[in-house]
Amino acid sequence: MFIADIKKDFYDVVANQRVALLVAADIDALCACKILQALFHCDQIQYTLVPVTGWQDLSTAFLEHKEQFRYFVLVNCGANVDLLEMLQPDGDSIFFICDTHRPVDVVNVYNDTQIKLLIKEDDDLGVPTYDDIFRDEDEEEEGEDSGNESEEGSEPSGKRRRFDEGAIERRIERQRAKRQWEARRREILFDYEQYEYTGLTWLILDPSPCGLWVNSVICCCRWAVIGLTDQWVHDKIPHMKYVSDIATVQRHVSRHNHRNEDEENSLSIDCMRISFEYDLRLALYHHWSLYESICNSYYTACSFKLWTLKGQKKLQEFLADMGLPLRQVKQKFKSMDITIKENLRDVIEESSNKYGMKDIRIQTFAVHFGFKNSFLASDMVHAATALLESTERDENDPTDNFIKALDALSRSNLDRLLSGIDLAKKKLIAIQQTVASCICTNIILSQGPFLYCYLMEGTPDVKLFSKPLALTLLCKYLLTAFVHSTRNKRCKLLPLIMAAPKDVEKGTVIVVGIPPESETSDKKNFFGRAFEKAAESTNSRTLHDHFDTSIIELKSEDRSKFLDALITLLS
Amino acid sequence: MDPSEVEFLAEKEFVKIIPNFSLDKIYLIGGDLGPFNPGLSVDVPVWLALNLKQRQKCRILPPEWMDVEKLEEMRELERKEDAFTPPPSPYYMELTKLLLNHASDNIPKADEIRTLVKDIWDTRVAKLRLSTDSFIRQQEAHAQLDNLTLMEINTIREFLLDSLNCMYKLRSNLQPGATKGQFADY
Repeated sequence: MFIADIKKDFYDVVANQRVALLVAADIDALCACKILQALFHCDQIQYTLVPVTGWQDLSTAFLEHKEQFRYFVLVNCGANVDLLEMLQPDGDSIFFICDTHRPVDVVNVYNDTQIKLLIKEDDDLGVPTYDDIFRDEDEEEEGEDSGNESEEGSEPSGKRRRFDEGAIERRIERQRAKRQWEARRREILFDYEQYEYTGLTWLILDPSPCGLWVNSVICCCRWAVIGLTDQWVHDKIPHMKYVSDIATVQRHVSRHNHRNEDEENSLSIDCMRISFEYDLRLALYHHWSLYESICNSYYTACSFKLWTLKGQKKLQEFLADMGLPLRQVKQKFKSMDITIKENLRDVIEESSNKYGMKDIRIQTFAVHFGFKNSFLASDMVHAATALLESTERDENDPTDNFIKALDALSRSNLDRLLSGIDLAKKKLIAIQQTVASCICTNIILSQGPFLYCYLMEGTPDVKLFSKPLALTLLCKYLLTAFVHSTRNKRCKLLPLIMAAPKDVEKGTVIVVGIPPESETSDKKNFFGRAFEKAAESTNSRTLHDHFDTSIIELKSEDRSKFLDALITLLS
Repeated sequence: MDPSEVEFLAEKEFVKIIPNFSLDKIYLIGGDLGPFNPGLSVDVPVWLALNLKQRQKCRILPPEWMDVEKLEEMRELERKEDAFTPPPSPYYMELTKLLLNHASDNIPKADEIRTLVKDIWDTRVAKLRLSTDSFIRQQEAHAQLDNLTLMEINTIREFLLDSLNCMYKLRSNLQPGATKGQFADY
């Protein structure tokens, strides 16, 4: 059931209890987890933090902890599946679910006792009404009984026959109504569950409950901002939603900033300040050189088509147009000439308008503390994602990576954050090179209802793409690049499915599907259902373990028949 | 003594806070505290103030001496005088460090205050070194220094005592016959 008052129904309930926090492995979840941790620390609520990477992990974690804990908080997992059936909890376990995955499973919505959803109940959800889906069994039984009784009654045969006919007719009528109702219910559920998309967690959208209890809530604001930016960077929410939610968060941030700053008594430089900026859409450009950043951000790379010679020339023209000397531009951003840096954003915006890049600037936040440290929200998202999915040799334990990424988000672990930024740079370069090679070698094939691309095992950096978030990012960039480079009008509207080797020993590949690229899309993804059905119909050995149903693991041998099934299903 | 022990002792000092919760009077071994009402200032020891601040339950008001003009005056006075002037507070260094580390958003002009307190500290420690130097050089038997804080004494205590012991041993070894450590020229 949906929680109306987050303080009364959630926070006061867990106030003196021990809580198990089960957190999914993406940045939005990490940020929500940080906010919850801060709240729990302030009010000295004991909690246990368990990172979970998939449904199996979730079940194992639940089994391990179900004796000791009554209250479970699930962050960014669990809303889109029937939780009670999956976990089989005892009657007194209570689950608080704070999840961005939609659609919310109907059982979770209508269960009053054990499942509480920390989700804002707005019209976007489109949950079918109770009567449409659940039906009281009692009515039917009564009807049946009365039918039977009338049959058993000892009446003259004529009357009995009349009664019988009446009873039979009624029964037939009821059965027909029931079948109709069931058909309608199936239809409703199918429509409801067909697409998967992402909403926004309550905490991220509305840190004001936190604001009421927590005086200097600047950290919570920061995490809310990072969570929101993560959804935008990984393309989970459409642009319009991002802009409207940024405005909401901006109100909270400015309210906090206003409270602390006075005209005469300025704040110490060490205090963290969040500033609202209309900054460039270049990834990590403060921590890199401007040139590298332009080459490796997907927006600029795709607009210029930097995998072609012509594109490279265009880039040089662009830089010349702005009057930026190459030597300056290839230097580290922090050591660039001050005179150039002053008007950089406006200059770039003007020039990029000429080259067809209308949205080079985006509204975002930056956090400053100390003299040296200023980070844009998207920088932190890239750094934390790189840490979370790092495939460096010694760092393959997912729990370790989770903790490292969590550390990087807090202010005191700057070196962790900087190492994350380095990893993110490598990842972006790898993505760009892979995109370039894919487009140049034309390995994106149109299969009819969708585009398909398979990364061979020998591709450089293919290890990086065995992780879901990295592969999804690659998918998105590849699709944008493809749309910019192809002339086929129909192909521009197709979604993309990408497969990459996940585990060479076990012979599995990871398959990701993303919706088609369009300006006004609402990012609804139907691949979840499609994958399930295709796997069933071909008996392929698949593992639907990830919380995002559009990401699955598949045995490489079953790849071709799975694809064929998908093609037939979707055409 | 360890500097952290000195800091621990400094945390007993009282400071004003403005809580945002309400609580009745609490009766602790060291004394009574409270009652706490949101928006009304109350005196609490520094250890409690810092704990509440970290749990986001209060706002710390800077002590009276932690003000840019007052500290500037004290710094000038310290530089002029040869002897030690009375310090802003018997635990000024520790309190500055604690309050500015944890509650710098509640203290106006925190950076300047940090610089001023450091200046005062440097001047006083320099004077201390000068006076120990002259103490040893002139081979005095006892000295009296007013207005020193525990932290300053602590910085010099171990070194001074150890080195005086060493010098005593050296001198008594030079004159094997001497009984009560006569301080001859060395």
